[in-house]
Amino acid sequence: MTELILGGSASGKSFYAEQEVLRLAAGTDAGKYYLATMQDKSAEGQRRISRHKGMRAGKGFWTVEQPVDIHLALEKMAGGGRIALLECISNLTANEMFAGGRCLPEKNVAEKIIRDIGALGEGLTHLVMVGCNVFEDGTVYDGATMAFIRVMGRIHRELAASADRVVELAAGIPILVK
Amino acid sequence: MKLVIGGCAQGKLTYVLHKYRLGEDAVWDGCLPASGEVCGKTVVIHQFHLWVRRRLLENGRPEEEILEFLKECPDCVLISDEIGNGIVPIDAGEREYRERTGRILIRLAEQAEEVERVICGIGQKIK
Repeated sequence: MTELILGGSASGKSFYAEQEVLRLAAGTDAGKYYLATMQDKSAEGQRRISRHKGMRAGKGFWTVEQPVDIHLALEKMAGGGRIALLECISNLTANEMFAGGRCLPEKNVAEKIIRDIGALGEGLTHLVMVGCNVFEDGTVYDGATMAFIRVMGRIHRELAASADRVVELAAGIPILVK
Repeated sequence: MKLVIGGCAQGKLTYVLHKYRLGEDAVWDGCLPASGEVCGKTVVIHQFHLWVRRRLLENGRPEEEILEFLKECPDCVLISDEIGNGIVPIDAGEREYRERTGRILIRLAEQAEEVERVICGIGQKIK
């Protein structure tokens, strides 16, 4: 089963995603993996990471740091049932697109990420993915940011099309999209 | 008239063309066809928000102009980006663009036969 979770910043996506993994894992002996993509070393970034770690504490997740090449996370997992929470598509996209201070072509980045996530899903029992709604503020940003938004749009559309379930969070309330 | 809204890059146009079995020739991108140009055919107005933006820059009256257009051409699908879910901009012109586009969309949604929101290529009927 694959599930895509959407919503704005601080809408409760992560908490809901964790609950989904716990629900899927209930009564099974599948390993629960948290695929962390953030590589922010700033104080603010570290605070976000700490908040998320605190939220996951005691829920039995194994954390796999995988800022790029997300399918390689499979190599760091044990055998048997595997349920993974990918958090999040924005960070993964930014890491892949702007690696080394460059801005890689939209098409290549989108196709690579979709392919990598597809390969990841193949090796898992269930995959829960956290996306982000960066599409509705009407602002025309600089070229690289607009390219990022288009790549995010394409990845989200394709993941939603193949997902078994798509849920949007608003103020912590889940709304079933698909 | 049917109204389709949603964020940037969400696949709204593809969704509309597929749903109503229309080709690119039905699409007017960021503009309205001139009077009499499209008699009797279904018309898709894509990027309606950009048309509003342009008419504001040209000191037009988008609120009245779109209603006049719909009287002549009621069989149409209007597609607009959702532009209001962000920080209110510092620039007064940008604020006015969001405010007036939002108010126009509310007015159009009232008169639409159907309103859909597209997210990640998936349509949700909201009216």
